[in-house]
Amino acid sequence: MSDKRPFFVGYLPTPRELRLLLISVAVAAITAFVVAAWAVGTTQDNPGDGRLRFDLGRQTIVGVLETSPYPMVHVTHGTDVIATGETLMLAGAGKFGVEPHASRVDSPVVEVTGVLLNRGDIRMLQVPNPRRNLKAIDGEGPSVNSKNLGRWRLAGEICDGKCLAGAMRPGRGIAHKACAELCIEGGVPPVFVTTQPVADHEFMLIANGDGEPLNSELLEKVGVYISLEGELIQRGSLAVFLANHESIEVLP
Amino acid sequence: MNLVILFVQVWGGIGAVVALVFLIFGISRIDEDARGALSFRPLLIPGILIIWPLVIWRWWQLTGTTTTSVTRSAPRESHAIVAVVLAVIVSATLFTTEAIRQEWPSHLAPIRLDQAQ
Repeated sequence: MSDKRPFFVGYLPTPRELRLLLISVAVAAITAFVVAAWAVGTTQDNPGDGRLRFDLGRQTIVGVLETSPYPMVHVTHGTDVIATGETLMLAGAGKFGVEPHASRVDSPVVEVTGVLLNRGDIRMLQVPNPRRNLKAIDGEGPSVNSKNLGRWRLAGEICDGKCLAGAMRPGRGIAHKACAELCIEGGVPPVFVTTQPVADHEFMLIANGDGEPLNSELLEKVGVYISLEGELIQRGSLAVFLANHESIEVLP
Repeated sequence: MNLVILFVQVWGGIGAVVALVFLIFGISRIDEDARGALSFRPLLIPGILIIWPLVIWRWWQLTGTTTTSVTRSAPRESHAIVAVVLAVIVSATLFTTEAIRQEWPSHLAPIRLDQAQ
C-alpha cells in the first residue's frame, strides 16, 4: 500500500496541502530572525568610531622612547596628524607589542614608522616589523615631563589599548575579554577606561603599582567592570595609572 | 577556574583517545556506510571530543548489529525533542547572559584619595 501523505522536497513543486504551512513557517522564521537581530543589536554598546587609519598613510615620527611599563614615544618631530609633544603608545602587528625590540634599542631617541589607531582621545601607533620601523637615531631627547596627579579610586574597565583604539569593533566588554587578554599578554599596552574623566583624561595606560606590566591579578579582571585604587602619573601627554590589585572590587 | 580547566583537559583527552580508536576501528563495524569512506572521519573528531560517552554507548549498543532502519530509528525519533531542548537552551542562554550582564558604572565618579605629592 502506498503512502499518500504529502512530502516536501525542496527542488520539486510544493504539494498543495503543504503550501500554507510552508509559507507560515517561512514568514515566522524570517520574522524571528529580524526580531532576534533587532533585540541583540539594540542591547549592545556602541562600538565607537575607532579604526586603523590606513587612510592617513604611514606616519614617521621622531621622539623619545620609553619602555616602562609599556613602550611609548614622546613625539619631538610629528606629522600633520601626530602633533609634536604628543605621547603615543606603541603596539606591533597582530596581538604583539614592540617591547622585545624596543628594550634593545640603544638610544633614547628613535624614529618610528607605523599606522595610527584612533578612537576619541585614545591614540596608538601600530608598528609592523619593529626591527625595521623602530630605529635608534643619534641625538639626545628632551627630558619627559612627569607629574604626580594623586591617588585615586576609579571605576571602569581594563582594555587592551589596540583593540579599544580601533583594531576591533567592539574592542571592549566581556565578549572581548579573551582577545584583550591575549593582546595584553602579547605586549600590547593595556588602558583603563574610566566612567568619568580624571584630570581631563578619559583613559589611561594601566600598570602594576610598582610600575611593571600587569600582573595576573589585574589580567584576570580585563573586560570586567571594576573599581580599584592607584596612583595617577602624567608622563608627557599620557596618563599612567599604577594600580593596586589588592584594591580591586568587581562591580555588579 | 583551574578545576574547570583540568576537567576540560581530562574530558578532551579521553575524547581524543575515543575518537582515535572509534574512527580507525569502530565506525566501520557499526555503520556499513562508513566502510571504505575515510575522508569524512576527521570531521567527526570535534564532535566526538565533546560527546564521547554517547559515542561509546552507541558503539557498545550497535556492536554486532548491521545498519538498518531499526538501528537508525532511535536517534531519528529523538530529533524532535532534541530540537525543542536545543531551542530552549539557546534562548535561555541568550536571555540569561543579557540578564546577568554587568551595567557600565557611569554613576561612580572618580574619588581623589589624597593630594598630589
